[in-house]
Amino acid sequence: MHRRHFILSVAGSAVGMVVLPKLAFAEAGRIDWYTSSDTNILDFWTNIVKPKFEAANPGVTLNLVDAGDSAGQDAIAQRALAAMQTKTDPQADYFETADPMSPKGALEAGLYVNLKDSLSNWSKVNPLAIETDFAVPYRGSQVLLAYDTTKLAAADVPKTWADLVTWIKANPGQFIYNRPDKGGSGGNFVRRAIHEANGRDPKAFTLDNFSPEFAEKALAPAWEILKDLAPSLFDNGAYTSGNTQSIQLLGQSAVTMIPAWSDQALQAISTGVLPETTGLVQLTDLAFSGGFSRGVVLSNGVNKEAAVKLADFVLTEEIQSAILTDLGGFPGVSWDYISKELYEKFKDVVPSSIPTFPGGDWGSAISDGWYRNVAPTVDRNA
Amino acid sequence: MTSGSESGTKPGRGLIGLLLVIVPVALFAWMTVWPILSGITRALSPEQPDGTRALSISNFAEFFSDPYSLANLGVTLWTCLVTLGLLLVICVPLALYLRFAQGKLATYVQTMAMFPMFVPSIILAFAFIRVLGPNGSVDLLLNAVGLPKIRSPYLTPWGPVIGLVWDNIPLTVLILVSGLGSVTNYAIEAARDVGARPLALFWYIILPRMWTSVAVVVSFTMLGLFSAFTLPYVLGPASPEMMGPFMQRTFGDLRDPDMALTQATVTMLFCVAFGLFYVRAVARNRGK
Repeated sequence: MHRRHFILSVAGSAVGMVVLPKLAFAEAGRIDWYTSSDTNILDFWTNIVKPKFEAANPGVTLNLVDAGDSAGQDAIAQRALAAMQTKTDPQADYFETADPMSPKGALEAGLYVNLKDSLSNWSKVNPLAIETDFAVPYRGSQVLLAYDTTKLAAADVPKTWADLVTWIKANPGQFIYNRPDKGGSGGNFVRRAIHEANGRDPKAFTLDNFSPEFAEKALAPAWEILKDLAPSLFDNGAYTSGNTQSIQLLGQSAVTMIPAWSDQALQAISTGVLPETTGLVQLTDLAFSGGFSRGVVLSNGVNKEAAVKLADFVLTEEIQSAILTDLGGFPGVSWDYISKELYEKFKDVVPSSIPTFPGGDWGSAISDGWYRNVAPTVDRNA
Repeated sequence: MTSGSESGTKPGRGLIGLLLVIVPVALFAWMTVWPILSGITRALSPEQPDGTRALSISNFAEFFSDPYSLANLGVTLWTCLVTLGLLLVICVPLALYLRFAQGKLATYVQTMAMFPMFVPSIILAFAFIRVLGPNGSVDLLLNAVGLPKIRSPYLTPWGPVIGLVWDNIPLTVLILVSGLGSVTNYAIEAARDVGARPLALFWYIILPRMWTSVAVVVSFTMLGLFSAFTLPYVLGPASPEMMGPFMQRTFGDLRDPDMALTQATVTMLFCVAFGLFYVRAVARNRGK
């Protein structure tokens, strides 16, 4: 081979090596943390949790990564599960909010750390919030109704589900909720309809009592309730594709009322996305389901021990109080572990109980059922 | 071909060529061909009740017998075809103008036409809600001059169409303008000299030289539109939904990877058709 040819081909392969994807490794002492939540949560971690945790644990740093949406974080979880099978580095240690039932088979494969056994603060967690031993409920939020007080006086606001249905039908086009899989505000509106159709008993649904037959029986009447509402919704039955879009429509005065997350609504009002004249109300016969956000620790992460410490740290009074004061959320620990002054200050706003709805298979069944039964019945030309 | 005869005399050339292409080919095999093969295999071998997998088309039978899935496929094809039609109607005149016009105005028009390329689609989607959404800027302007509000395309099948058309203008215009590069000014002048009118000029001189680039536009945009995600996700209706959001929902939310792979395979078959169309168009052009 000619010398020139040799040089050329070596250079060619060298260039090829350079453009190959760079290999990255997780760093010891740097917790790779991912979230799929909205920006307000990432801000809270950046400005409050990270500095406090790093000050309390010298030598450990937090690498906060926004995974975008739950699909983005799922991809990281899938990668971690694959890394577990090949015994390689998952480059992930902690998920801010995750469902340990996902991805399929991850819990059985031991991807998530059993936090009940690992956390010294686990006993402080509000028992109502615990769904599984593999995820730590550290912040809660509740769905309520946000409405435009210039169009609807506070005295006339519906306070029960029946009143809400009457109001929606009497004011066609003035209400919208988002698709149940695209954000919790619409998701919990749909779940409230399911509670309504099943005797308003949140205890009727648990993670373990799911069966396709029971789901079929329990969900079918809820679809009837929601189908009945569809023609009276915004644009004869349109559904936004996220919490933010619903807030935007309320902000643009296109609708009068939406279901919204308490923390997002409060923040939207304080930043001016929603006007000062926005009212918030909760149903009194049975509140909209809330949700607790549950953090998980990956068992094959390089910084597993530090990540477990972090999961313990978010349950401390310092962080739990900040969730109330800085985030507008509810604490994940019982009220006994919150300072007296804070309790006095927030006891009127914070409900004594937050109904919850289990995730896991129920989430898939609700989403699939809603898309197949409720969404397509829209007659857009009506 | 000249390179073939050269490699006969200089044996080193072939090796260099191989070394140069081995990286892209290996990447292509690893990151494209392998996932496709493994995906199709999985879709074609559904899990049996006893946990084993056996060759069967039951997943596809389920897809094609499910009216909900078919409606989603239908709306995807509808969106692609309508978007493509609108794109050609808008971009062919635009490309002709940019090819033949001169001066400052043409520069501004070109900048405007390329602008969507630099706007991320999620920003576009929220801007769309602000402008064309209910009580958006357009409504405010109409209201200011006493006209009724528009019927907002937000959350209807037209929402993604409008967004996708805007988003795809730059690529379409670029391809068409490059195709028009093969129309020489001499040919135009010669035709004008013998008295050809603008329509005849377009039909007999310009259009025959544009076909390849139109074919490239058709295949490229169709491939892009089929895989569209953000705009149909944010702007489209809840049902029927386009294949992109539908696949993602089946995979992530319904936790049914096999069905998601089946949907992906069906989608890919349509894309393969447009891919072949592209290869043929390019090959025909090379043959000239």
